[in-house]
Amino acid sequence: MFEFFFKYPYTAFARGRLILLSSWPRWMLVIAIVLGAVGLAGLIWFRWSAAAPKLKSWRSAVIWVLQAAMLTLLLLLLCQPALNVAELRSQQNIIAILVDDSHSMAQSDAGNQQTREQAAVAALKNGVQDGLKQRFQTRLYHIGASMGEVDSPDKLQAAGRSTHLSDGLRQFLTQTQDLPIGAIVLMSDGAENASGGDEGGGGVDIAALDALRNRHIPVHTIGFGSETAEHDVEMEGVSVAPRALASSRMVATVRFHQHGFSGQKAMLTVRESGKALAGHEIILPANRETRTDTLYFDAGAAGAKSFEFSISPMPGEPNVINNSLSRMVNVSGDKRRILFVEGEPRWEFKFIRRASDDDPQLQMVSMLRTTENKIYRQGISDPSELAEGFPTRAEDLFGYSGIIIGSVENGYFTPSQQELLREFVDRRGGGVLFLGGRFSLADGGWTSSGASDLIPTFLPKTKETFHRDPAYPLLTQVGAESPVTRLADDATVNAARWKKLPYTADYQDAGSPKPGATVLLEMTDTHRKMPMLVTEPYGRGRTALMATAGTWRWQMSMPVGDGSHDQFWRQLLRYIAAESPGPVTASVPAQTLMDEGHVVLSATVRDKQYQPASDADVMARIVGPDGTSSMVQLAAVPGEAGSFRTEWTADKPGSYAVEVTGSRAGEVLGSDIVTLERKDGIAENFHTEQNRELLERLANSTGGRYWRPSELNTLPRDISYSEAGISVRDTKPLWDMPINYLLLLGLVSTQWLLRRKWGVV
Amino acid sequence: MKLLAATAVAALALACCSVVRAYQRTAYFGFDDSEQHQAQKAEFVWSRLAYTSRSGGNGYGWGWGRAAWSRDYPKADRQLLVAMKRLTRIEGRPYEQVVDLDSDAIFEYPWIYAVQVQAWTFSDAEAKRLRDYLNKGGFLMVDDFHGTQDWEDFMEGMRQVLPDRPVEDLQSGDEIFHVLYDMDDRIQVPGEHYIRTHRTYEKDGFTPKWRAIRDDKGRIMVAICHNMHLGDAWEWADDPEYPEKFAAQAFRVGLNYIVYGMTH
Repeated sequence: MFEFFFKYPYTAFARGRLILLSSWPRWMLVIAIVLGAVGLAGLIWFRWSAAAPKLKSWRSAVIWVLQAAMLTLLLLLLCQPALNVAELRSQQNIIAILVDDSHSMAQSDAGNQQTREQAAVAALKNGVQDGLKQRFQTRLYHIGASMGEVDSPDKLQAAGRSTHLSDGLRQFLTQTQDLPIGAIVLMSDGAENASGGDEGGGGVDIAALDALRNRHIPVHTIGFGSETAEHDVEMEGVSVAPRALASSRMVATVRFHQHGFSGQKAMLTVRESGKALAGHEIILPANRETRTDTLYFDAGAAGAKSFEFSISPMPGEPNVINNSLSRMVNVSGDKRRILFVEGEPRWEFKFIRRASDDDPQLQMVSMLRTTENKIYRQGISDPSELAEGFPTRAEDLFGYSGIIIGSVENGYFTPSQQELLREFVDRRGGGVLFLGGRFSLADGGWTSSGASDLIPTFLPKTKETFHRDPAYPLLTQVGAESPVTRLADDATVNAARWKKLPYTADYQDAGSPKPGATVLLEMTDTHRKMPMLVTEPYGRGRTALMATAGTWRWQMSMPVGDGSHDQFWRQLLRYIAAESPGPVTASVPAQTLMDEGHVVLSATVRDKQYQPASDADVMARIVGPDGTSSMVQLAAVPGEAGSFRTEWTADKPGSYAVEVTGSRAGEVLGSDIVTLERKDGIAENFHTEQNRELLERLANSTGGRYWRPSELNTLPRDISYSEAGISVRDTKPLWDMPINYLLLLGLVSTQWLLRRKWGVV
Repeated sequence: MKLLAATAVAALALACCSVVRAYQRTAYFGFDDSEQHQAQKAEFVWSRLAYTSRSGGNGYGWGWGRAAWSRDYPKADRQLLVAMKRLTRIEGRPYEQVVDLDSDAIFEYPWIYAVQVQAWTFSDAEAKRLRDYLNKGGFLMVDDFHGTQDWEDFMEGMRQVLPDRPVEDLQSGDEIFHVLYDMDDRIQVPGEHYIRTHRTYEKDGFTPKWRAIRDDKGRIMVAICHNMHLGDAWEWADDPEYPEKFAAQAFRVGLNYIVYGMTH
């Protein structure tokens, strides 16, 4: 239809440029149009007195508009409009037909007897390939887990374990860089399983798009498969920390959607080795609506753990594999050392220490000023530790993962120690917790301290902010979701347990939270609310403030067996210390590899002062699922001090343990272990609907077009408008487009019909 | 006759008043005894355990068997608090607090001191409350009981509170003897009677016993000072006739036990 009115197909207009062939300058056309319109207006005004009475109204304006439009169109045609468009030369270009042969193409959608792959082959055989061959050379490729050329559509089989469109496109461009590729026809359901994205939901990466744009190759995508699943529950993604301390309370954020089961109940569960660790009932959301839920569970003993997050299969659900997702977590048995600096004997000190005693992963090292001249040390590893007081060297202080500053005046620390404290968080990535007290916060002069940046609140300018009066804890909305203040998995039970806790023995006004800080607990002295527990990320680490020293009452006043006090403090201490990185930190983009083995292994290496060690030797020892080990060297990343990277392939399904060690001049700086797991036969069961959005985005970003299988008859002709390959620029006159004459006829007819209607003919 | 009796009663009453007044004078330590100051808020409050003694009664008073818990009270307590204020960074209330096991108020004071514990008795509810107190992290120091029979009587009550916890002898290397002062060498601290008798022991308690009951993690819950009288040493520390060496050690023990109770 478009071509009937406009003479040329839409693609020609979309890819071409409108020009005027007349030698007249364009400004003359504008002036002629303006003069013509003014002239017509003048003529109407000149004959106003002799005009019929009915025309002496707005009707004259309508006549003037119609006549001016007709004049404008005529003047435009006189300027000889034309379309300048690049067009592939016949039989001199290659059209590459890429057919997705991944497992998801073997599906047959509801109401369709054919599989997606069969539908693609049928489309090729029923005219697309022949139509293209009339004007171009064609080459047929399969693209899925790998990419390669095939002789005939009959040899295409949807057996690929995954879809890697980006990799396939890049590989195709490399293989054909010397060939005159005029365009790419991609026949796919768009289920991309590239690593780094969520299962089945990845996109075509920027590198592949840039490579296509550089060669001006348009990608015409043909989408196969239903755009919505009839009955399916799918886990979209799971966010969980890749590493944790043993017995940690883990938080997993689970995203899922469904179609066909809206409002029904299901169980959301996390399992390890088949054993359910936690779970609760959920109500499935509306169709296609993504829902987020949270699961709390115990990381358990040390080791490489694979946690499976699943939604129970629904009755009649055909694909239940996509109801589950696994995540690897490296549960470490290492101890985190926390330095507790306390300026006076206090009950809070005792009871925090006792809480940490129950955590085998925490080692509390404390220095307590018992008298003006004595420091009592506990938990030290050797007699020299802290013998001189608070450390003055980075290598001594940075050995701790967390620091607690109790009732200690700012002046107790020298300016260089205060700076060291700041760098402990900023550079080393440690955590610092400030407690309330007689000599704490504003009362201890911390407002003007060099380390005041670390305090997550703007401290009051006044003194006497510490009061030995009751304060009642109040769980904030954010606190209700935080693992630090989670005393029970169930949100209602958690809130009830916080309400049951008695008042604290004292409180301190800590001022107002800084931007970016999070208030997990508030407190009230029955007159006003104040922040009690505030956390804030700072540099590579984190800081927190607990504006009281009276939580020991939670232990002494609650019944025996109520572990609220100890649990809260263990969780807060872990928040402070557990995430503090070692000198060597290894990472991979995704710890669960779905049907693919390509891994980018990265590491950051720092020395004992936690300065980037760019000159380090970094080796990775990889132990595969069959117990064999191999060594891989990581190369320094240019421009990123202390960063190292390598690429490697996990070629077999199973679990891998990668130990990365950094050393310099024969001295080991540190090591880190990252675990990952390759699972095959999983990825293609996710995102089984046609990913039209991806296909449209790919086509639009490269100058191609998204096609439905039912509208392919014009593909061979439309595809010829391309600047890629061997093309010529053609000028196509537009003055004789039927639409021009139809418009002229329409304007004249409209004027005549209106005059007839008004009786002024 | 009636006049004689009335005169005798009046004389007796006057004598009693004089004794009480005399006691009050010796019990003045320079603190302001006003209620406002006695209710002063502080981190550490010296808490003396009041209990029902074998002979009945747990009220304040004097005399053997009437109110055993109040031996040396309150001068001993206040003398030690003076020492604590001068020698440590503990913010302590200068006035003692009497606590009992009849209410949950005891849980406000994580450190308690008890004397003459051979006389203590507990109802089941009181024993449970003291057991809960210790299991939650409370610290109990007992003092001033002597000899074999006192030990047995003390243990009778202790077994009611902590039936399964063994009592062990503390060694010189134990942390409680080093937390503030190093006290490897300890001597028997006698009561005020030493001034008259020059005996360091009472009854058959010839050897000082430094003992303790620990929790599951090895922390001392109950510190037992048997065959010694630290309370008297604190109380009579300002008496020129009471040897300084006893008072000095008694203060060190008391402060070590307080700091230990606030750190373990």
